[in-house]
Amino acid sequence: MAKSILAVDDSGSLRQMVVFSLRAAGYQVTEAVDGQDGLDKAKAQVFDLVLTDQNMPRMDGLTLIRSLRAIANYQRVPILMLTTESSDDMKAKGRAAGANGWLVKPFDPQRLTEVVKKVLG
Amino acid sequence: MTRKNLLGSQVKRLLTSLSDHGNQHLTEVETDLVQTTYLLSEAIEKLGASFMAIHEGVAAQKELIDLLVSGAAATPEAQSRIKTLQDEVAQNINSAVTGLQFQDMTSQLIGRTVRRIAGLREVLGAVGSSGAEVLPDSEQEEVVALLSEISKALEEQSTKLESVLWKAVSQTHMESGDIELF
Repeated sequence: MAKSILAVDDSGSLRQMVVFSLRAAGYQVTEAVDGQDGLDKAKAQVFDLVLTDQNMPRMDGLTLIRSLRAIANYQRVPILMLTTESSDDMKAKGRAAGANGWLVKPFDPQRLTEVVKKVLG
Repeated sequence: MTRKNLLGSQVKRLLTSLSDHGNQHLTEVETDLVQTTYLLSEAIEKLGASFMAIHEGVAAQKELIDLLVSGAAATPEAQSRIKTLQDEVAQNINSAVTGLQFQDMTSQLIGRTVRRIAGLREVLGAVGSSGAEVLPDSEQEEVVALLSEISKALEEQSTKLESVLWKAVSQTHMESGDIELF
């Protein structure tokens, strides 16, 4: 059965590119339009991996990660940040929040799928 | 300091502050717009090149397939050529997907510019409203105090505006970004 991925980003065009890339690689992808939507969808279904942006309305990526890590089902689920932010300070915050990796936009589909494959084991 | 000097000093402070803060915000607007232009130019260049390469790859594949359909032998060379063309098309699609992400970055930069301009308009509006309190028959001490208040408010509002305009996009190229696993 295909692994399920939750892609959280407030940019519709970016989500479209993520969905295109990951579905082409055989993953099931569910979209969420911001951190709050992502959290709601993650509570309704346990995903194998969460890929989230940082700067979003209603709830940012770091808050989403902290909220997910507080849920028993998400303590071991890989969470990757996919964001325009590239400072060491933000990466350190991401790591502290519980992210497993940091990808700086724009992404290359092949590299993204390689990382996802690696993280999912 | 004489009362006349005090008034001159406050007028100078206000004008300098207005100039410095206005200049700082407009420089940021200029930087963001230049960065947006770079990203758009690179994205269009990348997308144009990818589009042409995909078109050429697909046309070359079609030619080979037409030959095979018309009865030509599916030699190992032909099969290898089709595989190479497929790989090239896939590579160019990946490049196009990277290029198509320009909207996410440029919209963040444009959004930041719009918020800065709106904030600057509010700051200038507040200066104008406060300035309207200076009446022709105002005492010089009152004018000095008012100018001091306007300068202080201008500096505070401008600094506050800057603090809410965090720059999340530092990219100036459409090349794929770094990946770090923790």
